[in-house]
Amino acid sequence: MSTHAQANSSDASIAFAQTASVRASRDYTMPALIVGLVGTAIALLGFFTGMSAGDSRPLFSWLIGLSFWLSIAIGMLFMTLIFYIFHAKWPTVLRRQLEHGIGLFPLLAVLFVPLLIVPFIHDDPGILWKWMNAERYIVGGGSVATDPLFLHKSAYLNIPFFIGRVIFIFAVFAILGYVLRRLSFQMDKTGDMANFHRARIFSAIGIFFCAAAVTMAAIDWFKALEYHWFSTMYGVWFFAASMRAALSVTLILIVVLASRGVLKGLFNQAHRYDLACLMFAFTVFWAYISFSQYFLIYNANIPEVTFWYNIREKNFDGSLNSWWWISLSLIFLHFLVPFLYLLFYKNKVTAKRTLFIAAWILLFHLLDIYFNILPGKLPLENPAELGYVVRQFSITFYDIAALAGIGGLCIWSYLRSMKRVAPLPIRDPNISASLAHHE
Amino acid sequence: MATTTSNLPTCPAQAELLDQIRPAEHKETPLVGNKRDFPWVTEKICTIVESRVPTWWWVAFAMALFTASFTGVGLVWLVSTGVGVWGLANPVNWGWAIVNFVFWIGIGHAGTLISAILCLLKQGWRTSINRAAEAMTIFAVVCAGIFPLFHVGRVWFAWWLFPIPNSNAIWPQFRSPLEWDVFAVSTYGTVSALFWYMGMIPDLGTLRDRATLVLRRGMDETLTPLQRKVQTAIWTLRKYGYGIFAMGWRNAGNHWRNYEMAYLLLAGLSTPLVLSVHTIVSFDFAVSIIPGWHTTIFPPYFVAGAIFSGFGMVLTLMLPLRALYGFHDLITQRHIDNMCKICLGTGCIVGYAYIMEFFIAWYGANPFEEFAFINRAFGQYAWAYWIMFSCNVFVPQLFWFKAVRRNAAMVWIMSILINVGMWFERFVITVTSLANDFLPTSWGYYSPTIVDIFTFFGTFGLFSVLFLLFLKVLPIMPMGEVKFVMPQADPHGHGFGDTAQGANSEMKGGAH
Repeated sequence: MSTHAQANSSDASIAFAQTASVRASRDYTMPALIVGLVGTAIALLGFFTGMSAGDSRPLFSWLIGLSFWLSIAIGMLFMTLIFYIFHAKWPTVLRRQLEHGIGLFPLLAVLFVPLLIVPFIHDDPGILWKWMNAERYIVGGGSVATDPLFLHKSAYLNIPFFIGRVIFIFAVFAILGYVLRRLSFQMDKTGDMANFHRARIFSAIGIFFCAAAVTMAAIDWFKALEYHWFSTMYGVWFFAASMRAALSVTLILIVVLASRGVLKGLFNQAHRYDLACLMFAFTVFWAYISFSQYFLIYNANIPEVTFWYNIREKNFDGSLNSWWWISLSLIFLHFLVPFLYLLFYKNKVTAKRTLFIAAWILLFHLLDIYFNILPGKLPLENPAELGYVVRQFSITFYDIAALAGIGGLCIWSYLRSMKRVAPLPIRDPNISASLAHHE
Repeated sequence: MATTTSNLPTCPAQAELLDQIRPAEHKETPLVGNKRDFPWVTEKICTIVESRVPTWWWVAFAMALFTASFTGVGLVWLVSTGVGVWGLANPVNWGWAIVNFVFWIGIGHAGTLISAILCLLKQGWRTSINRAAEAMTIFAVVCAGIFPLFHVGRVWFAWWLFPIPNSNAIWPQFRSPLEWDVFAVSTYGTVSALFWYMGMIPDLGTLRDRATLVLRRGMDETLTPLQRKVQTAIWTLRKYGYGIFAMGWRNAGNHWRNYEMAYLLLAGLSTPLVLSVHTIVSFDFAVSIIPGWHTTIFPPYFVAGAIFSGFGMVLTLMLPLRALYGFHDLITQRHIDNMCKICLGTGCIVGYAYIMEFFIAWYGANPFEEFAFINRAFGQYAWAYWIMFSCNVFVPQLFWFKAVRRNAAMVWIMSILINVGMWFERFVITVTSLANDFLPTSWGYYSPTIVDIFTFFGTFGLFSVLFLLFLKVLPIMPMGEVKFVMPQADPHGHGFGDTAQGANSEMKGGAH
């Protein structure tokens, strides 16, 4: 990772800042690592025992846990890119936090590997992404191999191309993350504006690759779980959701970091206010995207796409299922509550209140991830019978293990990154303006 | 370097950290060039309204009036004959009328984006272009409104669109997005006009006060008595005309406070409104189940396209104005750069939507959807598709280069190409899907008639007439807000060219 070079050559001043930051606050690196290792070990145990027992649920746990943390890192990458492109001055002071976040991609890529090896080691390669197994029965009769819809899509949905795309997606994120971190850390040392200009150019070009990568990720990992379904909006949904998650995490970070240690008080009310305004904007944007997608599908009422929302509402017999409540909570608790809450000025500046809503949004973002990943149409035991079973909402032990484990490792990596460089981009041309930012 | 944080360092480590902060030198071009002062800005804007009308204005006005008469002829022809004089015929029952409607409505979006969204984002550079862009919005909505209004056929029954049960107790169809358009566009027009007017109040007050001052000083002694009388009448008209609309503006502190709060509230209200208008326009297509129309990305894609075309139009209008009125210190290269970059960004979002539509048409495995898109790109309207694609996706890529952005003539030509491309986008969407629908026996080829062409061509004249009148009668830049982003207005400022101070003035722009 990029930070090795930094660690070796860090000058005395940065070393001082590190020790100071370590001294001033408790070091959570080891606890995070322990939680991470134990959590991932349990989740992976579930993953592989589940797999050999033919139970796909622990695999979903892993995908959910990974997607949650990945969406945060993706959102942080987008935030960094957007701030550079718009030449935004006020967020300079918090950019270092984003830079720690975008260093997570190599780790997350490694954590994706278990999902990639499933099709090669399991006798049902389609245990998670059902299209991967040509022999798998599908609802409505026949197998994947005889499914004309699959046959049509097989030029895209095939394992070699899928793996190629995973590599592309992570390569884009990791390379951009690496380059932007390197340029920013270099800037700390030399103060050479060439670094800054290069970061802007990389951001402008990089955002195109990121848009492509994030769209592919959404299509491949989530949409293709029910590969019959399609929606042109879906990539935008994942972008919006990731931004919400990353903004919430950034807000939590700056409130926590500003409460103690070397950064105490450096993230001020105006920073919280502007971040909370962005949270408000992306709350509305997420709702706009989600509503438009739902509304257009509902209104046209074409079965080829409505089924995706149907299973998130009803069972085959028409009775409401567990997803109905999740859908409603996304509308009311993931949109309406943050929307109303963030309308009020005080809720956008008071540290504790911003902390609350950020945690709230993160919680429901997780639910949104569940909503997009978990529901599925499962064939009945007897394929001759008409109907299907919907995979219902549940929170399993392995879900928690995966979330905590992957989260632990991410936090560990984040904290390690924090120790290697100064806590602020000290030579950035806008750092003073950002520190003095006021409403 | 000492930083101006409100708190002292909380611990020695922080003191050490703050001590290390040495921002790299970064020169920021000021938003108003040439170190101009406040009186210069007032003089510059007010003299346009107060001085004699230049010859080019009369020439342009005559040409615009002549062009506008084409719309008049087209509409008289239509009303006296019937909608049949347009090129609409099975299977294409939506032709130029809706294309032109969406085209003009889209252009209107940049005005609200600049005045509302950029205000919320505290973008100081919006100040020198927002007034003209807002005017453009309103005039574009006027032009847009003509098409659906006359498309109803019997235009004297257009009021049936409002939710009033008519003589047969028939209500409008609330489930139709065309009905939603009635509400969306009329609300949008109203709020835009309100926003535009409200923003103008301080400047109207300035114009009133200047007229009062001229009257008090008396007219030029060298004039003949008759000339003096005429001049006095004109200045009196100005005094009371602007005075009435200035609504007693006295530049007082509490006036500014109320003004800024009202501005912020209107900006907050306009933002969802502007996004909803083009969202509903996109619903006109997307809620139907016609291949090529029913796709979920339509709402944000239409909004991005609208902003794209709107900024294209702002550049088309502002670059000649900048040259004619010598606005180089107010609309600086920085403004042009920013507008070009917004065109680049939104053009790429539109490009993303084009590619996404195409990909999902294939991925969705619906043969009709797939056909619709292949037909767009390679069918009988392929020429239109590729004009659209080149103008909207390829042309803006030139904005990556500084040399292009600095070449005003080139930027101007590109801004026109953007609007050509955006017109073709609506044409491609509307016509290709209808001309080749589910039943090959009913396929057709749509061509506009001379009445279609007249009516559309004339709207450019109508738009220009309104815009030229605006230039002559109203202050074309918000003087107060332009001054607000100048270094002199910055309470922390210590002169020109200082980076930190430039940064502060940038952040201060917009609502406070």
